[in-house]
Amino acid sequence: MKIKKSVHLAWNILIHSKIRSWLTIIGIIIGIASVVAILSISSGAEKQLSSSLGKLGADIITITPGASRAIGGTGFQGGGNIAFGGVSPSTTTTKNLTSKDLDAIKSVSNIKYILGEISDRGTMGYLSKSSTVSVTGVDSTVWKEITTDTLSSGRFLTTSDTYSIVIGSNLANSVFSGISLNSKVTIEGKVFKVVGILSSGNSVYMPINTAREVFSPGSDNYDSIQVKITDDSTNATNKTITEMTKVLMMERGILQQKNVDFSISNPAEIQSTVSSTLDTISIFLGAIAAISLIVGAIGIANTMFTSVLEKTREIGIMKAIGAKNRDVLSIFLINSGMIGMVGGIGGALLGVVASGLISSLATSSSSTTTQGAGNMLGSLFTSTSINPWLLIGVVAFSVLIGMAAGAIPAYRASKLSPIEALRYE
Amino acid sequence: MTTIIELRDVWKIYNEGEENQVIALNNINLHVKKGDFIAIMGPSGSGKSTAMNLVGSLDIPTRGKIFLDQHNISHLSESDLAQVRGRRIGFIFQQFNLIPNLTAKENVMLPMMFQGVDEIKREQKAETLLKMIELGNRMDHYPSELSGGQQQRVAIARALANDPEVILADEPTGNLDTHTGQIVMKFLNELNDKGKTIIIVTHDPNLATEHAKKIYWIKDGQIEKVTEKLKGKWKTLKK
Repeated sequence: MKIKKSVHLAWNILIHSKIRSWLTIIGIIIGIASVVAILSISSGAEKQLSSSLGKLGADIITITPGASRAIGGTGFQGGGNIAFGGVSPSTTTTKNLTSKDLDAIKSVSNIKYILGEISDRGTMGYLSKSSTVSVTGVDSTVWKEITTDTLSSGRFLTTSDTYSIVIGSNLANSVFSGISLNSKVTIEGKVFKVVGILSSGNSVYMPINTAREVFSPGSDNYDSIQVKITDDSTNATNKTITEMTKVLMMERGILQQKNVDFSISNPAEIQSTVSSTLDTISIFLGAIAAISLIVGAIGIANTMFTSVLEKTREIGIMKAIGAKNRDVLSIFLINSGMIGMVGGIGGALLGVVASGLISSLATSSSSTTTQGAGNMLGSLFTSTSINPWLLIGVVAFSVLIGMAAGAIPAYRASKLSPIEALRYE
Repeated sequence: MTTIIELRDVWKIYNEGEENQVIALNNINLHVKKGDFIAIMGPSGSGKSTAMNLVGSLDIPTRGKIFLDQHNISHLSESDLAQVRGRRIGFIFQQFNLIPNLTAKENVMLPMMFQGVDEIKREQKAETLLKMIELGNRMDHYPSELSGGQQQRVAIARALANDPEVILADEPTGNLDTHTGQIVMKFLNELNDKGKTIIIVTHDPNLATEHAKKIYWIKDGQIEKVTEKLKGKWKTLKK
């Protein structure tokens, strides 16, 4: 009997045992949907991570006060706009970064630009609304060379700016009700003019001297120093970091490596740490999804055993009227394959929807928080990457699972003696 | 007249050699010629069902030989037997045994599917047969929507699907009222008149003597006697 006829009979069995089939199918849908969602979200996260770090600049090294937990004093630690962190760099016990540190670094080779920044939080008001914002004070001469942010309108800061600011578009349009170029806003009571709007984000940038005036008058401190290097190959980067460490240690009077009171970020290290964290999370979640698939497969096997038992008499009839053993085998094998297939298609669709939901949840939660670790982590999951081959592969895989789960029941069905089967009540 | 089915010195023994050995059939000989209308008659436990299974190629003998159209089928595998009986023997059961999830038409098409007949031919044949048994307007009904008599008629149509030489009916009227049973037997008689070989298995001697032309009387696994209707009168043949 040709496959097509087995398919017809197998389909007939499926549609006539709706409740039982659907309960089994739901098990597969859940397993497959989890796999699809996890793989799509983590693939999207990897891509987002690469592009975020790309935006951050593989050629930008950041120095922050306070030793990091990583060995050797290098590693990454929070700062205003670094990939991971959100840890406030200024504590009363850490020795701050000052202009002396900045000058010391100038002597290091492979450096293109140096940007000192201070960060603080203040109250911003526009029309009748006010909100707490993160403000970063930057050196106007250098900021536009180092920043990886892009403008959607207006311009970056220049040396002649004093009470001018550049703000992120999310702040302008979502947090506030539409701040446009040349609008006047207040920050900590002082009036500022918006001269530029960035394409994304909630940041506020102002000239560093003005920031000092508003937040920390008389201070000479920097909350972070960003350094753009010319050669960003791994070797050159590491060499530059080593040199900077030496220079700073000397300047700050630190004799031993283990006593350093500052941190230097290494972009490559950040990427690999985050990447491996993502991998670990994915593997863990993937294992859970795999377990649920195994349970789903057991569900199919159970359904098939029951189905064969119930249809014992019918198998006897079919054999009496000419069905060979392999006809019976193919009918039940295809039946269980179909259960897998329907589950796979449903699961793939549900997985796509679920990953879309998760990414939009992450997007809405990251737009309402201001900068910080949660923001960046959340923003990693704001995009999902659906690979059509994944979907096809997953459906094919679930057909295989279905057939594998149904193999033994189908085999037993094919071996039934027609006489005994006909006697079955 | 050619012998279609022959059982030669056939034994059927279950659990041979063991303590719980059962001899279901003891040295049976049976000849079915083309165009015969044969009844295998016996009380419950006589071995008539076992004999029917062997005649219908549903089972193979422990000893002895079975010939279907002069081919020895005594040692065929189950799959080969299935192929042979699917082509040559049409079954009718006491409990109708239609597939509940298939319509009447699909039930009739089923034996043809197992023989590789293509779809259009299957459909046409099924429709012709269903009209012949006067169920042309119920083709798309499921067995649960048909009366017992209608289901048995569908079963007859199904038995005829592959144009088998032999129709084997196991207590065909057992689950039917007298009137419907007579209609079913009328169909079988008509088929026999057209040249089909009919074998019925029954415990009802009236059914046998009324419709069959030759009766194998079976008791305790052995053929007690064979009677044949010659010129309207029943005569006992040698065993």
